[in-house]
Amino acid sequence: MLENDRNQLHKLVEEALPELDMMIGWAESCDPLQTTPVFIRDAKSISKLTLGPFCSQNLAGYLVKPPALDAPPKPDAKPIGICVKGCDSRSLVALIQEKFITRDRVRIFGIPCRGTVDFRKVAQRVPLANVKSATMEGDSLVIDDSGTPLRLDLEEVLARKCLGCRYPNPVIQDVVIGQEAKPRSSSLAATYRDVAAMDAKPLEERLAFWQSELDRCIRCYACRNACPLCVCQDRCIVETREPRWLTQRVGIPEKFLFHFIHAMHLAGRCTGCGECERVCPMDIPVTLIKEKLNKIMEEMLGYSAGLDPEAVPPLLTFNPGETEI
Amino acid sequence: MKSGVNKRPELKRGNLMAVKIFIAADRLDSVLEKLATKIDLWIPALLKGDKSGPTGFVPYEVGKAPAFDRQTTLPLKKVLLPQEETLLRFEYKKDPEGAPKTTIALDDHREARPTLVFGARSCDVRALTTLDRVFANGPYVDPYYVERRKNTFFATLVCKENDVKCFCSSVGGGPADMEGSHLKIVQVDDGYVVEALTAEAQSLLDGLGDAPDAARDAKAAEMVKEASGRRVGDVDTQGCAEAFRNRFPQTDYWVQMVSQCLSCGVCTYVCPTCYCFSITDEVENLKGERLRSWDSCMFYHYTLEASGHNPRPTKLERYRNRVGHKFSYIPEKYEGLLGCCGCGRCIRSCPVSIDIRQVVGHLKENTNEQ
Amino acid sequence: MTDSSPRSSAPADETAATKQGIKIVGFLCNWCSYGGADTAGVCRFKQPTDLRVVRIPCTGRMDPLFIAKSLIYGVDGVLVSGCHPRDCHYAVGNFYARRRMEAFKAFLPFMGIDTQRFKYTWVSASEGQQWQKVVTEFSEQIHRLGPNPGVRLRSGDNSKVSSGLR
Repeated sequence: MLENDRNQLHKLVEEALPELDMMIGWAESCDPLQTTPVFIRDAKSISKLTLGPFCSQNLAGYLVKPPALDAPPKPDAKPIGICVKGCDSRSLVALIQEKFITRDRVRIFGIPCRGTVDFRKVAQRVPLANVKSATMEGDSLVIDDSGTPLRLDLEEVLARKCLGCRYPNPVIQDVVIGQEAKPRSSSLAATYRDVAAMDAKPLEERLAFWQSELDRCIRCYACRNACPLCVCQDRCIVETREPRWLTQRVGIPEKFLFHFIHAMHLAGRCTGCGECERVCPMDIPVTLIKEKLNKIMEEMLGYSAGLDPEAVPPLLTFNPGETEI
Repeated sequence: MKSGVNKRPELKRGNLMAVKIFIAADRLDSVLEKLATKIDLWIPALLKGDKSGPTGFVPYEVGKAPAFDRQTTLPLKKVLLPQEETLLRFEYKKDPEGAPKTTIALDDHREARPTLVFGARSCDVRALTTLDRVFANGPYVDPYYVERRKNTFFATLVCKENDVKCFCSSVGGGPADMEGSHLKIVQVDDGYVVEALTAEAQSLLDGLGDAPDAARDAKAAEMVKEASGRRVGDVDTQGCAEAFRNRFPQTDYWVQMVSQCLSCGVCTYVCPTCYCFSITDEVENLKGERLRSWDSCMFYHYTLEASGHNPRPTKLERYRNRVGHKFSYIPEKYEGLLGCCGCGRCIRSCPVSIDIRQVVGHLKENTNEQ
Repeated sequence: MTDSSPRSSAPADETAATKQGIKIVGFLCNWCSYGGADTAGVCRFKQPTDLRVVRIPCTGRMDPLFIAKSLIYGVDGVLVSGCHPRDCHYAVGNFYARRRMEAFKAFLPFMGIDTQRFKYTWVSASEGQQWQKVVTEFSEQIHRLGPNPGVRLRSGDNSKVSSGLR
C-alpha cells in the first residue's frame, strides 16, 4: 500500500514539477528510522521522495526560511510544492493565516497519516546501534537487528503527539495521496490526556518535574528552530543582548524563562505538530508545555489553531463583550 | 592572572610496570566509590530515568550506575570546557566619602582539582587534541583550560559499541586508540580489565583489585586486538582541506547539501571538538561575573557585528563554516590535524539527519559538476 | 526595574511579614492605575509598602515575559493593573491584555508556579480607594503565601543532574 502511495506521489510530482519552483518532501537518510527533508528541482531526483511512518519532520517551516523563501519575493515566482501530513497542514494554515505565505504560492500534496515513529520508543526495545533496517509490514514495524527480525506493533512506537491525533488527514490540500486515515481521537479529553495527567499532580510535584526535565536543556534552541511558527528566528529575545532578557548561564531560571517565552509566543498559534519535542536531543517533553496552552485556548476561547485559513489567532484579536473569559 | 603553561600537558611515561587489575561487574560500584575518595570522579550516566534516555558525563555519586553500554549523547568536553564558566568576579565599590568615585574589586580565583573520567571513549579523548591545540599550545594559552587539562585523567573504554554513524577510523582514530588516555578499560564477560598506561595512573589503581587471571587477561588482549583491527567508517578525508577551498564559492553545492539545516546548535553542542565560546559580563547592580559560555557557529548572533552587518547571514554560510573549520582551516593551521574525531554525534542528534560524512565525502567529487 | 512608586506617605508597618522581605512588582498603566495609585497617595490612604511599581504605557504593553521573568527569578508577587475595559487610552490595549493574561494565569500552575502570586485588575485614575483595597488585599495574599522560592533547585538537589559547572 505504501509502495502504491509512493508511486502515486512520484507520478504526481513528475507531472507538476515543470510548474513548480521546487518540491519539498522527505527522502531516506543514513538512519533507517528517520528521513531527511529534500528539496527537488529536477525530474531525476524525484525518485528520492519517500513516504511512510518515518517521515516525521514537519516541512511547513521551510516555506518561511531560505532557500524556499526568497526575499524580496519575486512577483513571477512559481509555486512551491510541499508534502504535508495532517499536523503539518495545520502549521501551513497557521502560516497562511498570519500572512507569511499566500495560499497560491504553495501546491499542497496532502498525505493522510497513520502516525509517525518515535525513534526513542524504538530505542527502548532495541539498541539503536543495532538497527540495520526498518520496514513496515501491515501494522507492524519490522526491525532488522542484525539477527532475527524484530516485529514491533506500530502503535507501540508512535510519537506521543500521534496518540491523541484528531487530524490525521490534511485540512488543506491540492491533491491527496493514498487513502483517508482514521483519527485516533475525537475528544479533547483523549487529545490532552497527558496534560490532564500533569494537571492532576500537586503543584510542588509539577515544579519538581519541570525542574528536573528542563535542567537537561542545553540551550541549543533546536525546539525553537524546528518550530514552523517560531517566526522571530534570528531576532529571538533569548539570544539578543539588547534587550538582554536572559544571561548566557545554563541555570534553571534561564531555561524556564526560555521555555515560558517559547510557549507564550505560541499560545493560540501552536498546532501541536510536536516538532519541538521530536528534535530535542535531551528528550525533554517540550510539546507538553504547548499542549497545555492549546488546551487553555480550546477551553477558554473555543479555538483550535490551524484549521481555518481565514480565522485570526485568538491572542491577536479580542472581543470587547467577553467578561468572564 | 597567572601565566599559562605554554607546552602541551604531556604525561611522563617513566619506567612503567604494567599494572592491570580485574574489576568484577558486581564490584564496580564499590570500586568507583573507593576511587571517588582518591580523586574527583566523573562517569558517563543516564540523564533521564529510562535506559534509552540521553546520557552524559556527570560527577560520580555513591550509587550512581555508569552507562557503559553506548556512547554518551553529550560529549566529554564539558569536563575541561564547561558550558558556563566564571572567568572572574567583579564588584564596584562606592567611595564612602560620597564622591562619585567607584573602585572595582576583581577576583579571578580558581581551582582545578585532580579529576578522573572513568569510562571515556577513544573518540572523546582524541577530540582533546583539537582542544589542546587551541587552548594549550599557544600562541594564546588559556590558563583555565590548561590547569584543568593537566589535572584530568582519562580511563578509556576499548569501544565495542560503534554503530553505522561512527567514523573514527576515517579521521585518524580507532575503537582501541589510547592516545591521551591514562587507563585502559576492557569490558570482558563478567567485568572489566583495567590497565594503567602511565605512572600517575598506576597509583590510582592501588588497592582496587587483583590482577586478572590468565583467561580473562587473554580474553581482554583478544578484544583489544579485535578492536584495533576494526575499521570504523569509510570517509575519505585525504586532501579535504584543498577540496573544501575549491568548493567554497560553489553556492549550489552548499544549497544542495544543507538546505534542510535548521540552524540550531545541536551539532555544535554535542560535538566533542567544537570549542567556540562567547564571553559576556553578567551584571546585577554593582556586582557581576565575566562568563564564558559555549557558543555555536550555527547561530545568527555568533557572527553578528556591532555595525549590524553579519558576514554569515544564512545557514548556508554557517554550515559551510562548520565543515570548513573542521576539515580545512584546522588542518591547514595545525599540520594536518583534523578538527573532527569521528564520533558521529552530530549525525545521530541532527533533527533533520544531515550527515557530515556525505558533505565531506562529496567535497572532492568533480568540482565542476555543477 | 525602576522604583518610581508614588508611595503612600503613611509610615511603613514593621510587621513580621515586612521583615520577610516580601517583594511585589506592580505593572501599572500610565493612564489609569498609575494615576489611581497617585490619588491614593495624595489622599494619604494607608497602603502596604511591599509593592514596587513599574510604569507601563498601557496594559497592552504587558508582555507575559515580564511576569514570567519576575516570578521565575523569585519576585514574590506580580500585580498588573490598567484601565477598565472600554476605557483604554488607546481604545483596545487592555482587551488584548485581558486575553493574554487570562491565558498566562491558567498556564502558570502547569509549570509549578502558584497562580495566586499573579493578579491583574482594573483601577481608574480616580479610584484611589479602590487602589488601596486592591493593593492591600493582594499584599495580604502574598504574605500568606510567604516568600517565592523561584524555580531554582534547592541546594543539594543541584548535583542530581550536572549543571555543567564543576
